[in-house]
Amino acid sequence: MEAGKGSTDLEKEVLNAGLCTSCGACVGICPYIKVVKDRVAVIEPCGITDGKCYDFCPRTLTDISELDRRIFGQERSDSSLGPYISIEMAQAKDSKTRNRGQYGGVVSALTAYAMSKGEIGATVLTKPFNESLMPTSVLVEDSSQVLSCAGSNYIASATLARLNEAMKQQTVSLGIVGMPCQILALRKMQASKHENGSKEVKLAIGLFCTWALSYKSFHEFLKGKINPSQIKRLDIPPPPANKLVVVTEAGTLEFPLDEIREFVKPTCGICFDMTSEFADLSVGMVEGVDDWNTLIVRTPEGKMIIDKAKEDGIIETKPLPEANLSHLREASLLKKKRALDEIVKRTGDKNNLLYLRLSDAELRKLR
Amino acid sequence: MSVIKIDRPGQSVLMMGNEAIARGAIEAGVDFSSAYPGTPSSEILESLARVAEHFGLYAEWSVNEMVSLEAAAAASLTGLRAIVAMKQNGVNVCSDFLMTVNLSGTKGGLVIVACDDPSAISSPNEQDSRNFAKFADLPLLEPATFNEAREMTKYAFELSERLGLPCIIRSVTRISHSRGNVELGELPERKRSPSFEGVSIAGAFVALQHAALHQKLEQAREDFENSKFNWYVGPEGAKFIIVTSGTGWFYSREAVAALGLDSEVGILKIGTTWPLPEKFIIDHLKPANELLIVEEVDDFLEQNIKVLLAEQAKTLGPIEVYGAKSGHLPACGEMNQDKVAKALATIKGVEYSGRDEAYAQRARELVQPYLSPRIPTFCAGCPHRASMWAIKSALKLDGRDGFVTGDIGCYSMGAGPAGYFQLKTIHCMGSGIGLATGFGKLGQFDFNRPVVAVCGDSTFYHAAIPGLINARFNNSNVLMVVLDNAGTAMTGFQPHPGSGIDALGEPAPVVDIEGICRAIGVPVKVRDPFELDEAIEELYDLLQEDGPKVMVFRRRCHLAETKERPQKKVFVDPDKCIGDECGCARFCSRVFNCPGIIWDPTTKKARIDEIVCTGCGVCAYLCPQGAIVIEGN
Repeated sequence: MEAGKGSTDLEKEVLNAGLCTSCGACVGICPYIKVVKDRVAVIEPCGITDGKCYDFCPRTLTDISELDRRIFGQERSDSSLGPYISIEMAQAKDSKTRNRGQYGGVVSALTAYAMSKGEIGATVLTKPFNESLMPTSVLVEDSSQVLSCAGSNYIASATLARLNEAMKQQTVSLGIVGMPCQILALRKMQASKHENGSKEVKLAIGLFCTWALSYKSFHEFLKGKINPSQIKRLDIPPPPANKLVVVTEAGTLEFPLDEIREFVKPTCGICFDMTSEFADLSVGMVEGVDDWNTLIVRTPEGKMIIDKAKEDGIIETKPLPEANLSHLREASLLKKKRALDEIVKRTGDKNNLLYLRLSDAELRKLR
Repeated sequence: MSVIKIDRPGQSVLMMGNEAIARGAIEAGVDFSSAYPGTPSSEILESLARVAEHFGLYAEWSVNEMVSLEAAAAASLTGLRAIVAMKQNGVNVCSDFLMTVNLSGTKGGLVIVACDDPSAISSPNEQDSRNFAKFADLPLLEPATFNEAREMTKYAFELSERLGLPCIIRSVTRISHSRGNVELGELPERKRSPSFEGVSIAGAFVALQHAALHQKLEQAREDFENSKFNWYVGPEGAKFIIVTSGTGWFYSREAVAALGLDSEVGILKIGTTWPLPEKFIIDHLKPANELLIVEEVDDFLEQNIKVLLAEQAKTLGPIEVYGAKSGHLPACGEMNQDKVAKALATIKGVEYSGRDEAYAQRARELVQPYLSPRIPTFCAGCPHRASMWAIKSALKLDGRDGFVTGDIGCYSMGAGPAGYFQLKTIHCMGSGIGLATGFGKLGQFDFNRPVVAVCGDSTFYHAAIPGLINARFNNSNVLMVVLDNAGTAMTGFQPHPGSGIDALGEPAPVVDIEGICRAIGVPVKVRDPFELDEAIEELYDLLQEDGPKVMVFRRRCHLAETKERPQKKVFVDPDKCIGDECGCARFCSRVFNCPGIIWDPTTKKARIDEIVCTGCGVCAYLCPQGAIVIEGN
């Protein structure tokens, strides 16, 4: 991790360069950086030259091998999916949870379970469509509230800002459900020389993500077409559907994905991580299977929760078909390659990978 | 008890110039008084309002100076005596009416008091309102002493009534706001009963009206020829004469005495400066071959004297005139004894050093340790500080290089460090929204920076509503932020249409700002600026909307608040304060910069200055560590 940089550098290198993921890692630490919707800004330079904000950011220098070693004790052998213990299909056994969740309801089921078992005292979750297109991040302290946060957003909310706030007050161990960039930022916090309480985060569930939409432009696009406060659910069904489905109280609308891609946050184009490679558990969809999730168990802590949850009948798992696994690898690898291409396109220098630091061996595999 | 109420004719009483003017009005039996507050004029109406009930006169804070003059003129049209007071900017505001009521004429004495603020100590501009008298062909009086302020006011009513014209009194800060002895006159029995007959119409046979106006002005001139407000002191047959008016009288006397020139320099003091008492002046200037003109701000008297000298060249012969044009005195800024003495010394070739520079330096050095280094800033607890921070934050988050057009009020300081340099324009009342409506229509020329217009609550009623209507009518992309601190704070918290009380402190209906905005058809939100996160988000959201929209930041001026309620004690928990560290970097004392918070360099912690702190508590909300604690919370 690079030392000696602060909010002014963050503003220059990340915010002004269009790299901000609006994960919220830099927000809520100090009075100088604020977020509204998915816009992050340094309101006033603070003068600190070795700042947490810069250190925690998932778009400042990120050494993948070093993070691998820290979190998993060794560097990755799988270049497409990152380090893992197992990959399976999973679903919540409770049908209510399944129905409310995006696919198999695994994230909601596991979160509620970990809380009820006391593994974590509270969880930072993101609540979609609370009378607004913009999701809100919340600290859930009661497992019964978990389900109200189920469902995909496709818009990044500053989840880690809520986590930062929670860490200031919270004395219990915490959990978090986040997108790959958010989980990456969390791991950078935990690895940082700046102590901020993030070591109390005991369970990080990462979601699969191909990209997120910019709130402002997507909101503008929807204006006049639907009432954003009536949205109940967003979904991008697996290929070849190639569409975004918007379910509202007034009916369902579909938009061609190509129309929507225009609103993808520019930073998503340089994102290297589709499957939340630094999470304890990563969860996403299974192509062609509606009510199951893909579940990647990455850390022993993650494995312990899964084992217990299976034992207690919270979730069930079964092997992921080989075709699905290879498809997942392909998709993830494609995202990495595209990111590298896009980065080099932006820097104009194949040795300048912006925020990414990859070992030569790793880079060779990808190029 | 109010000094202007004392019923002891002949007694000498210490009065502020503005009180002397109010007393003069009382002695003239004034019936009706109105004003919009403005430094240095505000105490005139305040003084009259305080005795309104006692004398059975009417006093109001009007919504602006135009309405104020119109209301007073109405009383005059019924035969009542009326006075209206304003600062120099107010004269501009009411000038449209002024430039027609001079033609239609008035009935009962109507006196307009224009209080100029030389050096713009509390104004956005420096202006010499005497020019309006000449411009509008109206008689002008300039008091030079406090007693004269009383006498002139009383006389102005009589003159106005005799001519059927408004009469202008021009005061300046050092007359209005200084104190001196005033000799009390008789308090009259009021006996007028109003009636309105005929018409009062300008614009009918204007050329005839204008010619008649000039004739009335000639009558005024004749009256002025024998005025007790004009006099000469000094040796008979003096070759060198200072011609002066207003504050110049005291300064000139002091300067002549300081230089020991009493035996050779005469002073011709003119109190009736438009139209000039020509015969009186010519008579006194006959022996002179050099003049120094001493006046405050413009070379108004100088130019008019020069015209007179040119006209009388045959009688008077060549006379050298010193003053602004010659460069001996400035035609801007406050006048003082030192400037006059220096000019006089230069012309007369005598020694004058004024105040010794070494002495001044020593005085500064002696005082310095007792002064806290402080820039012009909002008071401790001022809601504007939070509002400005919210605006700055929202514009930064918006990221389109938005900016703020400012207006006139305490929040004008937002152009400086107090408001984080947010205000980019400041002109006259109402100009913030007016400019914003223009900036907000430049999209077709690819100028798409968001524009935020700020104005105070009093300014909103005074001059901002037409701008907002214009924004709505022409669909301009503008966000108006009304900084509603529940009073005309900058001039001393006088009531306005939103205050719920009138000039006498009696209950009055409240004119609802949001209601007006809604009626105009503009979306409006109301928020306490101390709820900063919500305030920032709402401002941000409004900035994303096209067309005009309004945010009312409502929180009462905290100085006014603490006068009525005990203030809460606020303190810093030193164990929680992280001071210079990442996560704070002295945000409260260095950036938010409330004067109630001090940085203690020895402990490296923030501290509350209990003397200055008003207990508003916004710093407790802002402290990232929760280190600032409000007692009892």
